[in-house]
Amino acid sequence: MKPSPAERELSREEVARYSRHLLLPEVGPGGQKALKAASVLIVGGGGLGSPAAMYLAAAGVGTLGIADPDVVELTNLQRQLLHKTADIGRPKTDSARETIGGINPHVNVQRMKLRLDSGNALEILSPYDVIIDGSDNFPTRYLLNDACVILGKPNVYGSVFRFEGQVSVFNPTVGGPCYRCLYPAPPPPGLVQSCAEGGVLGVLPGIIGSLQALEAIKLIIGQGDTLTGKLLLFDALGTKFRELTLNRNPDCPVCGHNPTIRTLIDYEDFCGVRALGDQEGGGEEITVEELKERLDRGEDIFILDVREPQEYGICNLGGHLIPPGELPARIAELDRSREIVVYCKTGIRSARAIETLRQKGFTKLRNLKGGINAWADRIDPTMARY
Amino acid sequence: MSVSVDGPVTRSSVLDALEAAYPMLRGTIRDHDTKERRPFLRFFVCGEDVSLASPEDPLPEEIASGREPFMVIGAIAGG
Ligand SMILES: [Zn+2]
Repeated sequence: MKPSPAERELSREEVARYSRHLLLPEVGPGGQKALKAASVLIVGGGGLGSPAAMYLAAAGVGTLGIADPDVVELTNLQRQLLHKTADIGRPKTDSARETIGGINPHVNVQRMKLRLDSGNALEILSPYDVIIDGSDNFPTRYLLNDACVILGKPNVYGSVFRFEGQVSVFNPTVGGPCYRCLYPAPPPPGLVQSCAEGGVLGVLPGIIGSLQALEAIKLIIGQGDTLTGKLLLFDALGTKFRELTLNRNPDCPVCGHNPTIRTLIDYEDFCGVRALGDQEGGGEEITVEELKERLDRGEDIFILDVREPQEYGICNLGGHLIPPGELPARIAELDRSREIVVYCKTGIRSARAIETLRQKGFTKLRNLKGGINAWADRIDPTMARY
Repeated sequence: MSVSVDGPVTRSSVLDALEAAYPMLRGTIRDHDTKERRPFLRFFVCGEDVSLASPEDPLPEEIASGREPFMVIGAIAGG
């Protein structure tokens, strides 16, 4: 995979292409050749992966790996600039390669249409010099962290939610902390919303993903100061950056003095994702078809909507709206003698709400499987899907 | 957001005041029963991580006077 010294030489075309880099003493021909010889794996070809991949390609990184299991959806296009309207339905790895090739045909793009897991991650990561975490879920973030620590690779971390972004470089091989030093455990599923539920301003991952590309470039050319040992926060509403100091945890289970995690574990299990799924299947779910049938029969069912008011405005089932954050304080609005069907967008927040209600003594609870999106897909195709 | 605290300004007293003003936050930042910080968030004061410091330690003057925020930073996963 490593190019020979001759292949690292810059052609006439490349000298012109990278001339603005070559003029910088901090980059120069040495830095540009280092970029050409470098390989970067971008995990997630989405909001963060798009600007990261495009800038790294333009900068002349020789080999770019893109790992993403998904196909392009209409809702991606508000922020994922690797993909175009005509790409809807195509694998993201395919449209990513086309976009990158259009920017810089010198880049060797390695497409991986797959989800990283404990079985494949070490093998997939090992040929790369730098890993960029542009994933969109906690299990993948812990998996990438542990795999990078085990392999001794720098992990350029970025994440976004609504108007808030976080960036860091986790690089224990040079003494910095890892993701687990910062967050030893993920939030329970349903407590923290994903971008699919809570939304994200499209330009925000553009900024955070560009910062990830910047950190990767500095790691490759060995110039400047990286965010190792620091967490950079960005507040898009206030246009404010703030830098926090991170400490390595000597007792960290993966990068500490006596690590207990030496091989990859089951990350879905660690993040409680599977447990929640099982619980949902525990006899308390109701399908959209069953709900429609029972409503059509005029049965007495109380429908509780645990989304935010702006989501209710997009589409609703005419249910009683109580946003999840207000549920504990507004339980008096609910009648525990009636059967309550709880729904959100996809069924995750409603599962969490059911847990809260059960703790308060409610028993006649059903979770609408797949949420209102399933209703829009299978019962009412005229309903807006978001 | 700002909260008013009677007596010494500590992590405990600030979070107590916050939870009194916003009861829905009870159990999200600190465990309902043990009052321990939950593992998916950390506390920062003037850029430094104070998550492992005693919750009864007085917070610096910048925080007490409201010039600098007491920051609760949580894990987010969007990409
Ligand atoms: Zn660690």
